[in-house]
Amino acid sequence: MRISIQHLTKIFPSRTKGGAAVHAVEDMNIEIPSGKLVGLLGPSGCGKSTTLFMLSGLESPSSGQIVFDDQDVTTLAAEKRGIGLVFQNYALYPHMTVRENIRFPLDNMRIKREEGNARALDAARLVQIEDLLDRKPNELSGGQQQRVAIARALVKMPNVLLLDEPLSNLDARLRLQTREEIKRIQRETGITTVFVTHDQEEAMSICDIMVVMKLGVVQQIGEPQHIYDDPNNLFVANFLGTPPINIFKGRIEGGKVYIGDEAVSSTEFADQPVYVGIRPEGYIYDPKGVFTLDVDHIEVMGRDKSVVAIHQSSTKPTVRCIIDSDVALPEGATQLRFNIKPYKMFLFNAESEVRLRVGEEQPVEEDVAVVEEQPTTDQRG
Amino acid sequence: MSFKNKNPRDVEADLVLSDGPQLTRGEKFRRGLRAQSGWLFVAPALILMAVFTFYPIIMAFIHAFQEDYNGANGTYSGWGFSNFVHVVKGDLNRGGADFLQCLVNTLIFTFISVPVSTLLALLISVALNSIKAVQKAYQTILFLPYLTNALAMGAVFATFFTVVGTKSHTETVGIVNLVLGLKDNPINWTDVLSSPKWELGRITIPWANYIVLMVYEVWSGLPFKILILFSALQSINKQYYDAAKVDGASRWTTLWHITAPMVSPQISYLLVTGIMGGMKQYSAVVGIFGEKMGLRYEMGTMVGYIYNYIGEDKYAGLAFAGSLILFVIIMIITWINNKVTKKRTTYR
Ligand SMILES: Nc1ncnc2c1ncn2[C@@H]1O[C@H](COP(=O)(O)OP(=O)(O)OP(=O)(O)O)[C@@H](O)[C@H]1O
Ligand SMILES: [Mg+2]
Repeated sequence: MRISIQHLTKIFPSRTKGGAAVHAVEDMNIEIPSGKLVGLLGPSGCGKSTTLFMLSGLESPSSGQIVFDDQDVTTLAAEKRGIGLVFQNYALYPHMTVRENIRFPLDNMRIKREEGNARALDAARLVQIEDLLDRKPNELSGGQQQRVAIARALVKMPNVLLLDEPLSNLDARLRLQTREEIKRIQRETGITTVFVTHDQEEAMSICDIMVVMKLGVVQQIGEPQHIYDDPNNLFVANFLGTPPINIFKGRIEGGKVYIGDEAVSSTEFADQPVYVGIRPEGYIYDPKGVFTLDVDHIEVMGRDKSVVAIHQSSTKPTVRCIIDSDVALPEGATQLRFNIKPYKMFLFNAESEVRLRVGEEQPVEEDVAVVEEQPTTDQRG
Repeated sequence: MSFKNKNPRDVEADLVLSDGPQLTRGEKFRRGLRAQSGWLFVAPALILMAVFTFYPIIMAFIHAFQEDYNGANGTYSGWGFSNFVHVVKGDLNRGGADFLQCLVNTLIFTFISVPVSTLLALLISVALNSIKAVQKAYQTILFLPYLTNALAMGAVFATFFTVVGTKSHTETVGIVNLVLGLKDNPINWTDVLSSPKWELGRITIPWANYIVLMVYEVWSGLPFKILILFSALQSINKQYYDAAKVDGASRWTTLWHITAPMVSPQISYLLVTGIMGGMKQYSAVVGIFGEKMGLRYEMGTMVGYIYNYIGEDKYAGLAFAGSLILFVIIMIITWINNKVTKKRTTYR
């Protein structure tokens, strides 16, 4: 099922008189091709769940449209949309066995008991919980509960599968394993899936398309790798990547990018104050390099090593450079010099925080307007 | 630190320590005393219970088996089961109340009014829970009867149903007759003599009177039940309802398959306490039908029966025997209740 989200907006009116209304989602536009796994990514409170609930029909939009294939479902009731929803904390019915939980949507469709049981078993097999069918939810581990929730969402063969941070309650190991499983199930069934998470690594690893949100506004849509390599603005660059990108206060002067007093690169952009973002893997050690960092300490991680350094223009307390472990660094050096891989360095206008793009007019009006509304303090720290 | 790294002497020291230090006799005694000191704290309650609960129970038990026990001077002619025989045979010469009639009445009142009242309370609570705006006002109105005296309420309730005046000249037919359109041919709901009856051998069922009492029972039982169920409903996570909606459950399905099971501990609590209370029904019947619970205990309850005889010196033995039977019946019902609810109740 193809999903088209057009100008979708959700405003929660304020509870107190004169209080500010919450703009949970604002003017969202997304086209989701059939059979894709889409990740909604953003920090807590940015409107991910609200978007999902509007897609499911549990929340009605303030304005805008939701279209499934060619049918406008904006006002259609939840039960008529043919969606499966996995809640953030699963919401399994505690008084029903796993089998009854999974069969519940089928019972509501008045499907015969035997057929319902057979289909419940199929769904349970898909998520590998066929041995647990007679247990109650409180007799299951978090990971097993999560799979029951997925089975319950899948059993009615939904057109769209919606998952709200389904992995947030799992431990690191299980989370890794289960996200692979979700990917596998999604591939096997070919169901268009929207997956909410605030964990960028999770989103990067399993999504076909990633939507990065901030304060209800979509910041960027695209393939995960593409967004990582080509972020639209400072927020997106900052949000993606572990360890996170290093950001320096800098300026463009006479065709050169300066961080502090050092010209680290040449550029064709006009003179202006900028933020310079450099990915940790974007440094090349070179005794005659253009960029000098004060070394704090060096962490050796096997495959590679991190130079943890300090720079007065950095917006964060420390700067992290990841280099190959076979690159020899001078013993006990207090300063190291680096060259910077040009495709790992991004320039952002210091005021609008919008990316300066090569050979392209800046989409000043639209994006600047969007970004200006948000306080900038939470992006560095 | 692992066991292996330990010096053997340390290990030995650990083992001795884990055995606990040797105690002197005095210490042992003091420790033993301290372990028993809990009794000191429950002693006041225990003494009060012994005087006001255990002693009467034991005495009732003893008197029940004393033949011709006289409440005035405490004499009796011997030991035996004659009190129980009189109770069961329904010896109408002795005072006028028939135990079998009272037993049947009590069982019917209880096992109809308690489930109906609980079901109604559930429906009302669910409705209340879904109308956010008027919750407060409704809560107050529905809770009022809970705060009102049962006798007074019964008396007021009776006026709704009572016909005042003679057949040829009625002064008022009561609001219920008016609403039912029986203005010209009113039923006197609270009058046992003129109530339409079914006769089943020894037992009379004045069904118009029954209806009055059960309406009263259901109505007066609602507030407390609504209070309990309403607060239980409010603690249900909203996400279960969202899940049910996505799963395509109708309102009805949601009520029976989601809501009711989620409040089943409260429902079973209400059924158990309601039934126990119903078995001890007394004051409302007196409030509506007078001290004799009808003319001759046609609307009598078991507690009414006991109360009737406890005051009669010559027949006090019947009261003790009756109360023992009531005790056993309540025990059996409680036991069945426990069996059933354990199976049917979902605990979260
Ligand atoms: N019913 C509501 N009434 C008022 N405001 C709401 C309501 N639901 C959500 N909000 C607000 O809307 C914004 C978005 O909430 P939402 O639940 O969509 O965030 P989220 O991205 O899912 O966050 P998280 O990652 O913490 O789950 C938040 O600021 C939240 O406070
Ligand atoms: Mg959320």
